[in-house]
Amino acid sequence: MTAKVAIVGAGPSGCYLAQALGKLCKEAEITVIEKLPVPFGLARYGVAPDHQGTKAVTRQFAKLFEKQGVGFAGNLEIGTSPSAALSLEELRALFDVVVLATGLSQDRSPGRDFEGTPGIYGSGAVTRLWNSHPEAAEFSPEFGARVVVLGAGNVAIDVLRLLAKAEDDFAGSDFPAGGAYDQVREIHLVGRSPADQAKFDPVMIRELAKIPGLAVSIGEGTALNSGEDDKRLAALRDLATAQPDAITKKISFHFGWPAKKPLRSNGTLSGVLFERDGEEMALPCDSVISAIGYEDDGKLNRSALLDGASTHETGQIAPGLYAAGWFKRGPQGTIPENRADSQKIAALIAEEIAAAPAGAEKPGVAALQAQFGNRMTSYSDWQHIDDVEKAAAPEGRCRAKISNLPEMLAVIENRRQAL
Amino acid sequence: MKISLLYGTETGNAELLCEELQEALSDGHEVDVANLEDVSPDALSAEAFYVFVCSTYGEGELPSSAIDFFTALTEEKPDLSGIRFAVFGLGDTTYDETFNNGSTILADSLVAANAQQIGPRGVHDASGDEDAESIALPWLQERLAEAS
Ligand SMILES: Cc1cc2nc3c(=O)[nH]c(=O)nc-3n(C[C@H](O)[C@H](O)[C@H](O)COP(=O)(O)OP(=O)(O)OC[C@H]3O[C@@H](n4cnc5c(N)ncnc54)[C@H](O)[C@@H]3O)c2cc1C
Ligand SMILES: Cc1cc2nc3c(=O)[nH]c(=O)nc-3n(C[C@H](O)[C@H](O)[C@H](O)COP(=O)(O)O)c2cc1C
Repeated sequence: MTAKVAIVGAGPSGCYLAQALGKLCKEAEITVIEKLPVPFGLARYGVAPDHQGTKAVTRQFAKLFEKQGVGFAGNLEIGTSPSAALSLEELRALFDVVVLATGLSQDRSPGRDFEGTPGIYGSGAVTRLWNSHPEAAEFSPEFGARVVVLGAGNVAIDVLRLLAKAEDDFAGSDFPAGGAYDQVREIHLVGRSPADQAKFDPVMIRELAKIPGLAVSIGEGTALNSGEDDKRLAALRDLATAQPDAITKKISFHFGWPAKKPLRSNGTLSGVLFERDGEEMALPCDSVISAIGYEDDGKLNRSALLDGASTHETGQIAPGLYAAGWFKRGPQGTIPENRADSQKIAALIAEEIAAAPAGAEKPGVAALQAQFGNRMTSYSDWQHIDDVEKAAAPEGRCRAKISNLPEMLAVIENRRQAL
Repeated sequence: MKISLLYGTETGNAELLCEELQEALSDGHEVDVANLEDVSPDALSAEAFYVFVCSTYGEGELPSSAIDFFTALTEEKPDLSGIRFAVFGLGDTTYDETFNNGSTILADSLVAANAQQIGPRGVHDASGDEDAESIALPWLQERLAEAS
């Protein structure tokens, strides 16, 4: 009997899991199922377009599908939404083991008062746009001249950096050509916690020093003196002391200021009010991008599934059902953390497979092929998209991504017709 | 000649590269692959030729799986006379000031422990166009020629 394993979600955690499980269970049939026609999750659609070296982890994942016998079944959503191809129960009936590695893609709201105000955007939506995610095809935010970025993690710094860069600074990236935000003149990054508790990595700050023309300041109400040997604060102090000759944009950092509410004048956003210990700070702005974390999109009943306390620890929801990656652990942690965690979960799954009594053979991927046939995308479909995108790269870019679903599917269909 | 490929990694690129090199060399050589995490410096042997494949993380630091090995090397100060090795680094020119620091730190600490480095260090740039294997394999073949 061959164990049939379906990993739902082709992001880093799903791919690392397939990699580790493939080594432990050489006989198992492993299929990675993905909602989008193309793989790699946030490695393709979240990691900043000017961090191609970090995105290059996808070369490692590519080997899974090219050489290591792992299957890819794209364009198949699992769950309860109307666009879903299969429910979780239906999928479980076809496979011995199902792993949910679908990430957390919904932007966390900065608070009720902020919801429904035009000009307030989430970093998930914005970074999807900058990474040409098909779900951002209709999204056209207006940032104006002054932007407030809420949050002090690495994603907030990504957002700040991409807003700050000029067209030339995007050389070698796959940021949409001509997409630099020249009209943005002033960016304020505001974290709710004090600077020494901010979550960004010091290299993220040091990288900002390479962008020409940025005047950097630390907000008046922000103290950087605590934690003398804190590398992040040192990086911030260094950044703020080096000033350019010709200033194109101003950026400033504020820490220890929880956002209280947006300010409006004549119905449009005019700023954000922050408050701490009865003290207030108002920052005028034309738009707000909140980068304060992510949550469940509700399509897999995550909270009900993960109710059992031990799931958070081991990843096992029930025999034959596991959670991995951000879906399991919450929206924290970098790519390497998913690797370590997925390796542990793979070991558990391998134990379960080894101990399973011989039973009826599950149909596995063959059933998906029978049921979905042509609408399913394969790994070679993705390789074609990859080639087309690289070949279309304009001057100064490494690729031109196809940014909407109909076009992506049409490119795939054209090649199939030609074969 | 027995070849031992040892990787220090954070996101797994170094591990995959070692597996690919192992496969490419397996015809003419006896090759094993191990994570540096599972290797102690005093277990190294003069019979084998060691190839360290190591990335860089943080602010030009060693990746997590190389840290215990490095600590043992610098704190326990084993004498590695007679041990021969080569180093290949994985890095990213986005981090220009600390490009491939990790592999330098590792090579320096091995040399300081009296091990003999064969040939120049090889390096890969994750932001470049080339696959790590297409750079590392010809580099490794040169090192093997020098070592035998
Ligand atoms: C903007 C941003 C930038 C980041 N930058 C970095 C960085 O530079 N370096 C770093 O180390 N980490 C970075 N991270 C963190 C890193 O991206 C995560 O740690 C990692 O992607 C989590 O992996 P995952 O597989 O759990 O989720 P994801 O990468 O989100 O993958 C989930 C996959 O599941 C698919 N999916 C979702 N729902 C369904 C469904 N119902 N059916 C089928 N498929 C589904 C999605 O399309 C996606 O492909 C960043 C995160 C964000 C948000
Ligand atoms: C947060 C972070 C910091 C990094 N720092 C450096 C660095 O200082 N110097 C460098 O050359 N590469 C650096 N890199 C690039 C990695 O070394 C490179 O991506 C490598 O291929 C990773 O290999 P691994 O998967 O084996 O760890 C960094 C990567 C990340 C994500």
